[in-house]
Amino acid sequence: MARIAGVNIPTQKRVNIALQYIHGIGEKFAQEICTKVNIPAERRVSQLTDAEVLQIREAIDRDYTVEGDLRRETAMNIKRLMDLGCYRGLRHRRKLPVRGQRTRTNARTRKGKAVAIAGKKKVTK
Amino acid sequence: MPRSVWKGPFVDGFMLKKAEKTRASGRINEVIKIWSRRSTVLPQFVGLTFGVYNGKKHVPVSITEDMIGHKFGEFAPTRSFSSHGGDKKAVKAKG
Repeated sequence: MARIAGVNIPTQKRVNIALQYIHGIGEKFAQEICTKVNIPAERRVSQLTDAEVLQIREAIDRDYTVEGDLRRETAMNIKRLMDLGCYRGLRHRRKLPVRGQRTRTNARTRKGKAVAIAGKKKVTK
Repeated sequence: MPRSVWKGPFVDGFMLKKAEKTRASGRINEVIKIWSRRSTVLPQFVGLTFGVYNGKKHVPVSITEDMIGHKFGEFAPTRSFSSHGGDKKAVKAKG
């Protein structure tokens, strides 16, 4: 079992794949970390020595924002826009697409599941 | 794609003059009416109040430090939002 950057416990997989289970680390950063700490990406996480795991952990702590910190950073950025009262902030407040997409149709990712007539009171007998 | 750095921020020239004039006159709280929504908010505008035209009227916007780098138009929405009526409780919850 390997605990890297808090709660993530990926095992059995290749190092470069397993690292991607951490929020904020994708294909590119995973590869980067592997080369930085000199571990072949083909190695499985279970075959890493404790020292190597420690090395990875230190590399991530040093050079990358991940997990909680990253989430907080993005949340702060969005909050800044909302407090500013600018157009992008208003769109965030209304939960509508921010970057000028159409909203007549689609935009379901932001709007959530379609509701027949929003806000209509259900008829109860 | 962002604007090239070597060009510097875009501002209509008269904006600078207007800002300077109000500062010199000492009436900082006065609303400066502007139509130039396309101008960037510069550091020297901080503390002033601008009336940004939204196509109908001038929306008062007092400039803070956070607004630097945004465009004036971003702070004066041109469309008025209206939703369908219906259950008042549901509408309130949406905000």
